[in-house]
Amino acid sequence: MSIFSTILVYAVIPLSVILVVAALVAVGGRDGRPDRRYRPGRPYDFKPIWFLASPAQVSPAFGGKTSDRTAQPPALESGVVEGSAGRQVRPGPVGGASDRW
Amino acid sequence: MTVGEHQAIVSGGEQPLTALDHAGGPTLTERPELTMSDSGVAALDGPFTTRQLLRLDEALRVADQQTGLTFSVYIGPLDEPTRESAEALHRQLEGAAKAVLLAISPGQRLLEIVTGAEARKRISDRDAKLAALSMAAAFAGGDLAGGVLAGLDQLASHAGRH
Repeated sequence: MSIFSTILVYAVIPLSVILVVAALVAVGGRDGRPDRRYRPGRPYDFKPIWFLASPAQVSPAFGGKTSDRTAQPPALESGVVEGSAGRQVRPGPVGGASDRW
Repeated sequence: MTVGEHQAIVSGGEQPLTALDHAGGPTLTERPELTMSDSGVAALDGPFTTRQLLRLDEALRVADQQTGLTFSVYIGPLDEPTRESAEALHRQLEGAAKAVLLAISPGQRLLEIVTGAEARKRISDRDAKLAALSMAAAFAGGDLAGGVLAGLDQLASHAGRH
């Protein structure tokens, strides 16, 4: 094999393969989207989300197709809720649990 | 399934004006936002993939149907004191007595499960703590969607059928 063909086979062809792969990696990527995954300890900067099975049926505040779209979610506040008579009543005892990780 | 077909089903037989100029078009997995409400599109920007959102939706619906309770999942920051703000979120739900709220704050690395007065009779605080433990274990491993699914599943099976 001549020197020219040796260099061609052992240097130019492998290098061009490496370059093609590197170019594909650089072009591919995540189409500009940020990493969606949550990792403990890393900052979590997504907007708050609230899921319900069928929001429109549960509360008109979530404005489903069937309900009044102008309804606004009630403001967060108050440890007391207003009773039907207009008097403020303590809500019933709620249960549950808390945890940290 | 294409967007046009989905809209035809949702609108009940009568073919609506679709976002498409011709039959067919992008499939639902390619362009899921075409069939969604504004809040649905907003959820796509969240920490979940489309597939995870679909599984969450399914899990919530199944839990609601099986138990007759209203399950709800909030993922976002909670104001201090966190327990009180989770309970305030829970009170916003219509029929709060029968509602179960899973409030998860990945930023603060804490979660709160709030059960209404009626729901508490079916899901004891100990059952809720068990679900909270398995959720926290999944979250500590970075599996947000898996933890929520596991928690919903446990709470629903503790509540039993209605």
